[in-house]
Amino acid sequence: MIERLSLGPASVSELAQPLPMTLSAVTQHLKVLEDAGLVKSGKVGRVRTCTLQIAAMAQAERWITERKCFWEQQYDQLEAYLAQAPSTGGIE
Amino acid sequence: MTITNATFVIERQLDASPSRVFAAYTTLSAKSAWFKTPSDVEVLNRDFDFRVGGKERFRARWASGLVTDFQATYHDIVENERIVLVYDLFHGDAKLSVSLQTIELRAEGNGTRLLHTEQGAYFSGGQEAVDGREHGTAWHVDNLVAILEGREARAFA
Repeated sequence: MIERLSLGPASVSELAQPLPMTLSAVTQHLKVLEDAGLVKSGKVGRVRTCTLQIAAMAQAERWITERKCFWEQQYDQLEAYLAQAPSTGGIE
Repeated sequence: MTITNATFVIERQLDASPSRVFAAYTTLSAKSAWFKTPSDVEVLNRDFDFRVGGKERFRARWASGLVTDFQATYHDIVENERIVLVYDLFHGDAKLSVSLQTIELRAEGNGTRLLHTEQGAYFSGGQEAVDGREHGTAWHVDNLVAILEGREARAFA
């Protein structure tokens, strides 16, 4: 999605078209990017158009956003690990 | 060289007791199971010494060629309750930031509320001269795409 948006603004369906994901999954991923301030979207009629914000961001801001994304991803992985790791036998 | 000071907070509700969450931080084998980079990233240095005054390092080369270096020192550890560390992050030879990271674990219901507070000094300016113009945004987007692809890969698993 980021790669596509780096070429220019695109509608949600244009972003979803090459991806092996449902439209609602694409919308969820876009929300993560929007919450992180990397993508802005606006609706004209029934079409939502997304624009990459990364070039407009200050360098320090980009690093902070990137850092937050990094740790969020590590915690996704921590959740997955805790879900499959055997309990150590302590009182749960 | 300009400095930006900033704080961010990440909050997670985890489906495991504080002792299990804490255990995920305490050994290299447990931590390596979740604190990791995408598979196409080459790990160059990995040190891990989990005790007050101990150091952790994670230096890796990304698909774009960028070498990132995470160098941390543990400053405070209270079993099942909190971990406080300070880390420097480098991209190539350039130091991007110095960060104070506080991880608090609070028992909540059958699980744990994890609070991650990160207070940082972020350095910028002169970066282009160090890295060359061709890096700049390109490496950032590469990293971000890798991170998001990791997220997507898990969603499909």
